[in-house]
Amino acid sequence: MVEHEFERRLERLFAETPELPDAGAFAVRVERRLDAGWTARRWLIGAAGVVGGVIGASQLMLSNVFQRVETAGDSARLLSTSINHISTQTDWMAAISSGGAVVWVAAGMAVVMMGFVLTRVIGEI
Amino acid sequence: MSGPEHSRFAALHDVELCALAATGERRAFGELVRRHSSAVRGVLRRMGAHAAEADDVAQDAFLAAFERISEFRGEGTFAGWVKKIAARLYLRRLHRDRRLGALTEEEPADEAPRGDADAAIDLEGALKALGNAERLCVTMCFGAGLSHSEAAEALNLPLGTVKSHVKRGLEKLRTRLAPEHGAVPEGRRGNG
Repeated sequence: MVEHEFERRLERLFAETPELPDAGAFAVRVERRLDAGWTARRWLIGAAGVVGGVIGASQLMLSNVFQRVETAGDSARLLSTSINHISTQTDWMAAISSGGAVVWVAAGMAVVMMGFVLTRVIGEI
Repeated sequence: MSGPEHSRFAALHDVELCALAATGERRAFGELVRRHSSAVRGVLRRMGAHAAEADDVAQDAFLAAFERISEFRGEGTFAGWVKKIAARLYLRRLHRDRRLGALTEEEPADEAPRGDADAAIDLEGALKALGNAERLCVTMCFGAGLSHSEAAEALNLPLGTVKSHVKRGLEKLRTRLAPEHGAVPEGRRGNG
C-alpha cells in the first residue's frame, strides 16, 4: 500500500515538469520542420510527375506513334470512302475521317486528367 | 502563428487538436507541441540526455508523432504517447552510438550526500543519486509511462534486470525524497 502510494507520488512528480522558457521557440522550430517537410514532399511529387510525363512523351515518340496515327487516318479515310460508295454519307463518318485530330484531342484530355489527378493527390497527402 | 489563429487553437482540448492535426492542420499540431514540449524534453533530460540532445530527440519525436497522429486513439494522454515515442527514439540513438551498453551495465551507484529528510528535495536532485541504469529504468517506467516489459524490450535487457533496477531505484528515491507536503497542484489544461 505504502509502496503504491509512493509510486503514485513519483508519477505525479515526474508529471510536474516546469515549463521551459523556450517552449514557444521550440514549437516554432518543430512547425518549421513540418512546413519544410511538406514543401519538400510537394516538390518531390511535382518532380515525379514531370519525370513521368517526360518518360511517357519520349516513349510515344520512340514508338513512332505519329506514323501510326497517319496510317490510322489513311485507313479511316479509305474506309470512309468505301462506305460512302455503299451508303449515303453521314456526319459521323466525316469525324472519323480526321483520325489524327481525334487522337490529339484524346491526348489533350488525358493530359488534363493527369493534371487533375496529380492536384488531388497532392491535396490528399 | 498569427494571433487570432493561435488563440483559436489555444482554446481547444488536446483531443480536438489531435483530430485537426490528423487532417493535416500543422498549426493545430504546433499548439500541441507548445503545450507538451517541456514535459517531453524533461523526460529525456531525466533519462540522462544533455539539453541539446534532448531537444533534438524531442523534435524528432514530435515529427514522428505528427506522421503517425492517425494512430493516436486518445486512449491515453497525448503527452504520454509522445513521451513513449521520445524515450524509444533516445534509446535507439544511444544504441546506434554504442552508448547504451555502458549506461545499462551494472555500476556502483553514486552515493550522493543524503539530504535532510524533512526538507523537500526535488526530483532532479534525487535522481542524481541513482546509477545510470536505475535512472533510465525508473524514468522510462514512471516518467515515460512504459511498462516493465516495454522498457526491457527497448533497453534490450532481461525483464528481471529491469525490475531489479526499478526496485533499487525506487528504494533510493524513497529515502531521498522528503515526505509529501500539501496537495499537488492540478495540472494545466489539456491532459499532459
